Amino acid sequence: MKLMEVRDAAFTYDNKRMIFDGINFDIKKGEILCIIGPNGCGKSTLIDCLLGLKKLKRGQITIGGRSIEQMKPREFAEHVAYVPQGHKTTFAYTVLDVVTMGRTYAARMFSPPDEQEKEIARDALKQVGLEGFEDREYTKLSGGELQLVIIARAIAQQSQLLVMDEPTAHLDFTHELTVMEIVAKLVKEKKISIIMATHFLNQAYYLENAGVDTRVALINGENFAQMGRPSEVLTTENLEKTFNIVAEIVSDGSGVRKYILPLRNKR
Amino acid sequence: MTAEQKNHNLIKAAVLIALPVIFFVGTICIGRYSVSPADVFKSFVTAITGADLGVDEQTIGVVINLRLPRAIQGILVGASLAVSGACFQSLFRNPLVSSGMLGVSNGAGFGAALSILLFNSMVMTSIFSFGFGVLAVILAYLVGKVSGGTPTITLVLGGTIIQSIFSALLSLIKYVADPYSQLPAITFWLMGGMGSTKTTELAFSAIPMLIGLIGMLLFRWRLNVLSMGDREAKTLGLNVGLNKAIVIGFATLATAGAVCVSGVIGWVGLVVPHMCRMVIGSDNKWLIPAAISIGACFMVFVDTICRTITGAEIPLGIVTAIVGGPFFIYLLKKTKGSNW
Repeated sequence: MKLMEVRDAAFTYDNKRMIFDGINFDIKKGEILCIIGPNGCGKSTLIDCLLGLKKLKRGQITIGGRSIEQMKPREFAEHVAYVPQGHKTTFAYTVLDVVTMGRTYAARMFSPPDEQEKEIARDALKQVGLEGFEDREYTKLSGGELQLVIIARAIAQQSQLLVMDEPTAHLDFTHELTVMEIVAKLVKEKKISIIMATHFLNQAYYLENAGVDTRVALINGENFAQMGRPSEVLTTENLEKTFNIVAEIVSDGSGVRKYILPLRNKR
Repeated sequence: MTAEQKNHNLIKAAVLIALPVIFFVGTICIGRYSVSPADVFKSFVTAITGADLGVDEQTIGVVINLRLPRAIQGILVGASLAVSGACFQSLFRNPLVSSGMLGVSNGAGFGAALSILLFNSMVMTSIFSFGFGVLAVILAYLVGKVSGGTPTITLVLGGTIIQSIFSALLSLIKYVADPYSQLPAITFWLMGGMGSTKTTELAFSAIPMLIGLIGMLLFRWRLNVLSMGDREAKTLGLNVGLNKAIVIGFATLATAGAVCVSGVIGWVGLVVPHMCRMVIGSDNKWLIPAAISIGACFMVFVDTICRTITGAEIPLGIVTAIVGGPFFIYLLKKTKGSNW
């Protein structure tokens, strides 16, 4: 079942240089698409377009056959949740307050989210392993915990599609793995679909190794240079072409799980 | 929600409602001619029902004609300034913003000065300051919109630009005003005060203040979401542009209503929201009612000082800063600024 369809998408800031052009892909239920490419290739711009924060120059993005441009924020939030690259905290809301904000689209005009919505938020916190954090001030959390709270907020939206923009930037190994485990579980068990922009190419392999239905879209130039399974796309040749690096694909002891070992820049 | 939390919330709500009532009655009692709380109630009853409860007419006159309107004004003005400040702080994601952020005070100050220059009528001064206060915010909003949408940064810029334009225009009026009659009137108006307000002006200004207060109360939980920033608020399902415009509209009505009868009273819109945050937390569901309640109390308290401490009345704006500053430092020290 197709959740989101992107057809012939193009975007430019200045009408001279296309940031991307002729992008086509579908997202099925229960799969993850990792968008990978060098700095400045347009990953974040593409994410913004998928979220309806920027308007495509050409082409269209549809969810269930409806163009996202015709959707009100409320309707869009029902279908798509967003995990930003880094959240800038402001006032000292409690963790539960922040996660409950995921229920914004479900709340009525003037009434704050009710007890039922808070229950959904508590459940989302449980899913990211932050039980007992409900009443903590979210300004006092570590960077890793904060990111988990923001992921919980997205889970609380209960939408079928999750768009994540470098969800593990700035995180330590522990939290990076925690996020990956949550992502794998969401896709495998809850059949949620995820679009994730990332610089950590091994995350694509990690997910494939974990048996998650994973695809990689490698951006190089204006459109997707390659799209397919991590082991098909993230090859030494493609890494060399895209990032201008010399890398090896290695296996761990089991001989099944594969990883990228970046060695050096190509001169 | 556990029963304990429910009880806790009930107590919070009760305190927030009781406090302004106590201050309201208190300020009516206090003055050079002091009245007991019992006589205050009796005066109310007599004024409404006409029943003679043995309170002399002079007392009823002082309570109903002099102190009651002023107490109502204090409650409304304090609540309006404080809650608008709280709203703008959330909207701009900035704890240093106050209710005057989008130029409403500067616009209102200019309007009042212009009216003093042209008409010498208190009613016109109220109308002009209200009108120009609202106009300033509309201009700031339009400037903020030049880049399409209303991103926070251009709104702040728009506010700053409009503030400086109106303060320049105000200087111009001060420069051409008659230095013996008009200039002192302008200066005195700008310092803020409630001594000279007539009931008609109060009635005129109470309408926008009440509309603004109720509006902000109803929209309060959306402020939490708006304070997550435009991108996140939108992806959480909020029509950011529309909600921002509505909140700015309500805050502007309330602030312009307050400023047009009381002059420019700084400090309340900045400090009171923080006092409330330190005590009750940042969740706007509670912060907004708290700002209304505490803002009202603070203003009534300061106004009582203004009219009782010396024979002549001290302008409000001076005392809000003198009382508010040290109290803020005390709170800062006590909570170590831990709430934002």
